[in-house]
Amino acid sequence: MADLVVVLARCTDLRVEVDPLTGAISRDPRAAAFSASDAAAVEHGLRLGSAWGARTLVLTAGGPECDARLREVLSLGAEVRRVPVRGSYVEELATDERALAKALVAAIGGRPDLVVCADRSSDRGTGALPAFVAHELGVVQAPGLVSLELVGDDLMGERRLDYGRRERMRIPLPAVCSVEGAGVRLRRASLPASLAAASAVVPVAEVPLPGPAVRVLGARASRPRPRHLPAPTGSSRERLLALTGALLSHEPPTVVGPVDAPEAADALLDFLARNGYLSEARTGWALS
Amino acid sequence: MTDVIVVGAGPAGAAAALMAARDGLEVVLLERGPFPGSKNAYGGVVYGRVLDDVLPRWWEEVPVQRWVTRRSTMVLTDTQALTVDFRTTAWGEAPYNGCTTFRADFDGWLAGKAVEAGAHLVVNTVATGLIVEGNRVVGVRTDRQDGDLRAPLVIAADGVNSFLAKEAGLLPRTQAKHLTLGVKEVLSLPREVIDERFGVRGDEGVDVELLGCTRGIPGGGFVYTNRDSLSVGVVVSLEHLAASKVRPEELIADLKAHPAIAPWVEGAELKEYTAHLIPEGGYDHLTPLSTAGMLVTGDAAGLCLAAGLWLEGVNFAIGSGLAAGRTARRIIETGDAKPYRAALKDSFVLKDHKRLRGAPRLVLSERVQQRYPGLVADLVEGLFTVGNPTAKPGALRLLRGAAKNNGVKLRHLVADGLAGGRVFK
Amino acid sequence: MSGYDDIAFDDRMQTVEFRVAERAHIVVDSDVCRSCTTKACVSACPANLFAPTSDGGILFNYEQCFECGTCYQVCNAEGALTWTYPDGGHGVVFRHG
Repeated sequence: MADLVVVLARCTDLRVEVDPLTGAISRDPRAAAFSASDAAAVEHGLRLGSAWGARTLVLTAGGPECDARLREVLSLGAEVRRVPVRGSYVEELATDERALAKALVAAIGGRPDLVVCADRSSDRGTGALPAFVAHELGVVQAPGLVSLELVGDDLMGERRLDYGRRERMRIPLPAVCSVEGAGVRLRRASLPASLAAASAVVPVAEVPLPGPAVRVLGARASRPRPRHLPAPTGSSRERLLALTGALLSHEPPTVVGPVDAPEAADALLDFLARNGYLSEARTGWALS
Repeated sequence: MTDVIVVGAGPAGAAAALMAARDGLEVVLLERGPFPGSKNAYGGVVYGRVLDDVLPRWWEEVPVQRWVTRRSTMVLTDTQALTVDFRTTAWGEAPYNGCTTFRADFDGWLAGKAVEAGAHLVVNTVATGLIVEGNRVVGVRTDRQDGDLRAPLVIAADGVNSFLAKEAGLLPRTQAKHLTLGVKEVLSLPREVIDERFGVRGDEGVDVELLGCTRGIPGGGFVYTNRDSLSVGVVVSLEHLAASKVRPEELIADLKAHPAIAPWVEGAELKEYTAHLIPEGGYDHLTPLSTAGMLVTGDAAGLCLAAGLWLEGVNFAIGSGLAAGRTARRIIETGDAKPYRAALKDSFVLKDHKRLRGAPRLVLSERVQQRYPGLVADLVEGLFTVGNPTAKPGALRLLRGAAKNNGVKLRHLVADGLAGGRVFK
Repeated sequence: MSGYDDIAFDDRMQTVEFRVAERAHIVVDSDVCRSCTTKACVSACPANLFAPTSDGGILFNYEQCFECGTCYQVCNAEGALTWTYPDGGHGVVFRHG
């Protein structure tokens, strides 16, 4: 059983516009929306909240452009709150994620039994926020879930492993769970609820705002200098051969596997050593 | 209790919701996109004077890209271009004339005015059908749960495909004959480059209408200047496009490669590609403007003026929306839509359409589209080609030659001249 | 005219935002299309969503639809093409329309 389920959902323009000529980045406030995994987080929060009969609080860090989406969440029966963060795209990139986690936890204003986040944020994707939140709250963390549901009294999560295997785990509360945008879609509100919430005011949390972690001196489009390659010389046949590489010997592609883990590690280390990335001594140390 | 349901938060719907809400009615404004304007596309110019007595000094707050102070009409053949160019400083100062703007910006701004006036905007909601009792529309169904919404009056502002008007039997399911397809590219260019290439400064802009650039498919093209982008596109008859098997984006590519247009768009990068249908049937093919319990406005009613020299739509949408909103209370009280139809009849909305009722047929006719561009271009080329030592040929001889080369008989020219005189009188 | 130095069609469509719905708002009955000689939807659709198949049918996409309505307006076979608006909040999102 739980009393408070919190969803931390990011709401932003999912198609940041990069000016094709200048590289200037701009976001359209009207297009602010939840990414697929943020929407899945909200849906999981709503399902679990109603299964437990608990309050569900959806919290977003962002500017007023998020309010329209939060009103939709409001019309789905959840509480909403916004931690005001303002700034350009670049300023946001420089935000101290740990301070942001602190601010979000402070804005919750209670001890949640479960926090659901998106597995990765939509446009800058360090995926570090859930871990910082778990640290702030001092609770366990279950990242990368493709399903999150109640089985009896237990909260069960599932995530992908290599080789198409899945891992099912029982998640003890309190916990921070981050979900992939898979399996569920955010429900739509009924028309009466949408009408009722259409002009609602989204409460803004009064918490200290996180500052930047790094100082940004400037931002510009990445324009790597082109490498100058001399044109081939000689007869037309020689130039053609040089350009196409037709008579050069090529190393055939290496087929690795299927192998088990130690063999795969050996194959990788072999490759690195063969191509001069590892000295023999280093390889010996790594294998010992 | 809802008094009026407005379906569609484009210019027509927003204007209707604005006036009805100002009149103290409870208005619900439904929009299927995530924000007003997100489903809408047009060429690029809004003529805002229709708002003069509704939103005084609208020009101080409208989200404008550039004010059109220069207007060109250009006739193209594959190798020639003849331009009639006009500019005036009067259009660059209050109360202005036309402005280029994007629909997401403009429609959002106008819908915002309706919300300020008290209308309830619900986005992400499709009106899927009508609720009809007896012969009367009493509400709409939406694709949300518990989505039936009832009101004494429904205003259909749901655009060119208006499924509400179709369900009410006012509009046939398909009518490719009276539709054109507009496709547009928004091309990114630095502001100074646009200023230089088009000879404008500050927030001055250019509106270029093109004829004869669509591979013989009836239609035309346009180039509009935005702040730091150009809108370049073509508008072609849907019926003839389908028959020609030409892909729409190829027509834009043709246009951009034309020797008269290529220097304008050189180095520009595509920012967005859009497409939309336009009702161009004119006065003779308007949708009936009302049925019991429902008014039809804007594109849904076919209120789009595509009459050669004039290409206007948003102002007619706003005009019809304002009329619907203003008359909503009286229509609810009496149950009779006559006031709406009368208001339209007395305003520019139907007057302009009626006056220019013959224009769509003339402008999209085979000779105007395929023969006259070549004729005038050849005539002008002949006039200005100095072919010494040969002496200058007479103008009449040049006209005869140009007409012959382009397969036009002089009596056709006279007949079309007279027809044009009648249509545009 | 031939040989455009224009961008690839996929790149062109990449400039537009589509919020793809679960439900397909276009449905084509390929059995009806087999008897269609014009297949006008194939060339007229500005988003190039329709492709003829070797057995005479039509393969359709709905994900990158401009929702303009060209396809059902030019379709001359009754019942071949069903077209509705996509569910609320989904589909194309124009920013410079």
